[in-house]
Amino acid sequence: MLPKLVDHTYDLFRSFDRASTVEDLNACLVRAVARFGVESTFAGVIPLPGIGRSAQAAHVLIDRTPQGWTDRYFRVGHLDRDPTIRRLTTDATPFLWSEIEPLYREDPAARRVMDEAGDFRLRQGFTVPLVTLDGRVAGFSFGAERLDLSPELRGMLHLIASYVFGRSLVLSHVADEGGGRPPVRLTPREREALQWAAAGKSEWEIGTLMAISEHGAEKHLRSVHRKLGAGSRTHAVAEALRRGLIT
Amino acid sequence: MIHIVTAENTARYADALEQAWRLRHRVFVEEKGWSDLARPDGREIDGFDDAHALHMLAIEAGTVVGYQRMLPTTRPYLLTEVLSELCEVEPPRSPHVWEWTRYAVERGHRDRGRILSPVGSALLTGIVEWGLESGVDAIVIEMNPLWLLRLVQLHFRVTPLGLPRPIAGEDTVAVSAAFDARTLARLRAVRGDDASVLSARPPRPLRLAS
Repeated sequence: MLPKLVDHTYDLFRSFDRASTVEDLNACLVRAVARFGVESTFAGVIPLPGIGRSAQAAHVLIDRTPQGWTDRYFRVGHLDRDPTIRRLTTDATPFLWSEIEPLYREDPAARRVMDEAGDFRLRQGFTVPLVTLDGRVAGFSFGAERLDLSPELRGMLHLIASYVFGRSLVLSHVADEGGGRPPVRLTPREREALQWAAAGKSEWEIGTLMAISEHGAEKHLRSVHRKLGAGSRTHAVAEALRRGLIT
Repeated sequence: MIHIVTAENTARYADALEQAWRLRHRVFVEEKGWSDLARPDGREIDGFDDAHALHMLAIEAGTVVGYQRMLPTTRPYLLTEVLSELCEVEPPRSPHVWEWTRYAVERGHRDRGRILSPVGSALLTGIVEWGLESGVDAIVIEMNPLWLLRLVQLHFRVTPLGLPRPIAGEDTVAVSAAFDARTLARLRAVRGDDASVLSARPPRPLRLAS
């Protein structure tokens, strides 16, 4: 007999507790949900309307989505049309993306977001609305080409999303306060690469702008991720903005 | 201030408890629509409000503006008797674990938006201060899953006792949440106030056994 989902959830919570960086936590999360067919996870605080697109990207806390999707998402301004965002700011209960189809049936711009997501193997998904202690609304999404989630699994993902988001906030809070750790120093090239990344440029574009190879740009960014303990490009940008390393 | 009312000091709090029953009726029956609890006299009292229950009252200028009830898990409690479908594991039974129920904040003192209000955070701080003084280190909670993120942010170490299920139309999950001095430090930082919220030091030791 399979172990009960609640026992499995308990084991996962304790493994999340042991992760000492946001990066470790993300890796742990990705392993845990892959068992249930989840290919992508994405989470962040919902930005207030009207802020710039790179500032929007800085609200992302966890980004494990296929390469190119998040960059495109913020660059073309999908955030303002995304029906999952609209749904989670109006109703705090979790939902399958298939359940909100009526929300965008008559809205071509919203439908385009969902269709394009499908092109990035984000065809089916499940989103958990969250509210942080200071009242900010956040969203935590699980996606895949095909996602078959029983009500019990949805319940479990609901708990996992809440727990991991909380731990991420706690860990980045600890990182903020320094905890006696030395401040992060970026080399001028790393800072330049990250500044371009914050402007939504791809690795290829950054390479061209800095007159280096795409691989060289990737190397600088990887080093930045390591120094900032960031789990994704967007998280690195968010961290660097918060620490005043880029503008 | 949070006032702790037990069988020992009930007499001194007769008027405040009267207000608390009415607050519970307003919040749980009239607002949340838990019609099973409805009583013609407008006082929401049930079988768990016995000599073993510990009531915490948030009182401001003589008025009860917030309430919560703590029940020992060494006796039958809500999760084992009324909400057992939420518990898929062996329910906690320990003198160090109490159940947190009937959390209620008067409408005018409610969370702005969905944020934890000052009265709400005082009630929660009251549990942790009381627990640390009395040898209680975890609480059992049946709650909307939205609370989970808040608890993690406040340095509670949460253990799921079951998966979320709809109870009276609202998704509900049972957890136990352990706390320690870090939890108290975090709550005080959030409140921006290092002073104790309790009106008096809790009697020590509490009736932990029995």
